Amino acid sequence: MKVSYMETDVLIIGGGSAGSMAAIRLKELNRDQKVTIFEKANIKFSGSIPRGMDALNIVTVPGINTAEDYIEAQNIACEGVLDEAPSYVMAKRSWELMKELQSWGVFFPTDKAGNYEVLKTTPKGRFTVTMREPNLKTILHDRFTKLGCTVVNHTMALQLLVDNGHVAGAVGFNIRTGELIVCHAKAVILSAGGTARFGLPENGYLYGNYDCPANTGDAYSLAYRAGAELTGLEYTLRYYIVKDINCPLLYITLTRGAKLLNAIGEEVGGDHPGIKNMFDEHYDKGLGYLRIRMSHLPVEKIEAVEDILFSTEKPVLQRYFEGKGVNFRNRDIELGPTDMYLCGGHGITGVVVDTGAASTVPGLYAAGDSANVNRGHLTGAFVFGQLAAESATEYIKGISSRQCDPAPYIAEITEKCQVMEENQGFVSIEEFEYKTRRTITDYLTPPKNEYKLSRAVEIMREMKKALPRHVKVSRTHDLWKAFEVENIIDCAILSATASMERKESRWGYWHHRADYPKTDPAYTKLLIVKRGSCDDDVTTRLREPDKSISLKGGNQQ
Amino acid sequence: MYGLEVNSNCFGCGICEEICPMDCIRTDAEEKPYLAFDECWYCGACEKECPAGALKIQIPFLIC
Repeated sequence: MKVSYMETDVLIIGGGSAGSMAAIRLKELNRDQKVTIFEKANIKFSGSIPRGMDALNIVTVPGINTAEDYIEAQNIACEGVLDEAPSYVMAKRSWELMKELQSWGVFFPTDKAGNYEVLKTTPKGRFTVTMREPNLKTILHDRFTKLGCTVVNHTMALQLLVDNGHVAGAVGFNIRTGELIVCHAKAVILSAGGTARFGLPENGYLYGNYDCPANTGDAYSLAYRAGAELTGLEYTLRYYIVKDINCPLLYITLTRGAKLLNAIGEEVGGDHPGIKNMFDEHYDKGLGYLRIRMSHLPVEKIEAVEDILFSTEKPVLQRYFEGKGVNFRNRDIELGPTDMYLCGGHGITGVVVDTGAASTVPGLYAAGDSANVNRGHLTGAFVFGQLAAESATEYIKGISSRQCDPAPYIAEITEKCQVMEENQGFVSIEEFEYKTRRTITDYLTPPKNEYKLSRAVEIMREMKKALPRHVKVSRTHDLWKAFEVENIIDCAILSATASMERKESRWGYWHHRADYPKTDPAYTKLLIVKRGSCDDDVTTRLREPDKSISLKGGNQQ
Repeated sequence: MYGLEVNSNCFGCGICEEICPMDCIRTDAEEKPYLAFDECWYCGACEKECPAGALKIQIPFLIC
């Protein structure tokens, strides 16, 4: 297997929103430091925001809200399981961030008086500022390219290099050529998203996820194997958005007067329907699929919605609605449950980070969906991308170089590839992935119970062993998919284990345990998972959440 | 019609194959692109970046 070598100062794994911002910030701080990005496919349109975005989800707008307000709202949303300090620093920096984005040409519409549109999307307070930027990804991409970042496309990180307890780079796999690339680095930033391809989708299409389907829990698996702490693995998310195509639509329409209806035409959830309301209607009462109705609205409002959806977010969505014969003026939009996934930006899953985006392993940072900054969305990705860059810049000042021998990692990967190529595999990797995700859905979908969760761990361990022997590999693409499925399996084991340890129900459907149906205050803690003596030894512990902001008594208007 | 529609404007530059964020586009012997894997996320980057306006990406059959 051909192996090439390179060296850099900071290696970023994943070139989406968080990774792009980290790259930009690293170069802004010091043009001379070498910045390399490993990107699984091609970075130009990669990640969960491939084109544009319609909002900056969390902004502390002067005169409208404060960072303390945000912590109050987030504590409600997360039922107290929240490290306040990282979320606080994110909220504190959000206004500055927005100004910086504007200076790069990102458009935030204002009314005639110069006010931004600030919408309510949290249980309390208004934090979401409307953005109208169809070329967000391109703006970021052009910026880090001009600043001189090195992009290594078509490269999936398979292993972090660890030198005496410090992260010292990564081994990457070229998804087209099958070659390996060893990147020695003084620090690594994980920004590879969450686990979008996790549960099985009801529409049968394995790549139609809400988050980017290229996100297969790589960051979680890499961090875990390097010994970093992770949390929120039990927060198994399902959203309720446009049925089958999984496009977000809810608050774009509801904030313009659209109605959310159940199957018998009743309005659902009052003025701020949450996903919990929707799951109650759909599963508890059986009154799904819910629908968004706009036919009563003036045509200018409908046109505004169409403009946002079809020009800002994902222009191809227009074809979806046309194909369904859905014209917002006279037909309702059907909503439905997404497949199950793990995510730091929409949920609380991720590498445990401090206020500087540092993980518990020196030299390793995390940002975006890969990091635990509860429900941080795009603001979290951007701010923590910046924080990771700032921390890494300081950290590497004290380091001349790291000498980590990559040979054992290369040997392990090479052997695995050889086994897969030379075995008499009989199952396509697509079928293996299908079965993996079907198993995850069977045993991890809430309501959970101890029996199902322990079966999940058992079966997932068997599947991990079986994969190299049973999968028929005929192309490098198959090897790539096999590595992704391994990470999905790793995440399933962590998720089932964490779910078993959290012996209570919390966060509505997302961690409902039929055998422990009540919320237990003793569990108003973070559940941390960490590698023990080997990869198979998943240790867990409960840890008090950081309450430094509330304790300061800062919750005042 | 499903998948990637390619009209006669295509002159085989290969940009679509290069920039696909799911790496699921390949080009055939005549350098014309097609979806080699059922892994499209319909982001529309291929359509946007095509310098010839030769591409139209459809929503996958299972979804639409």
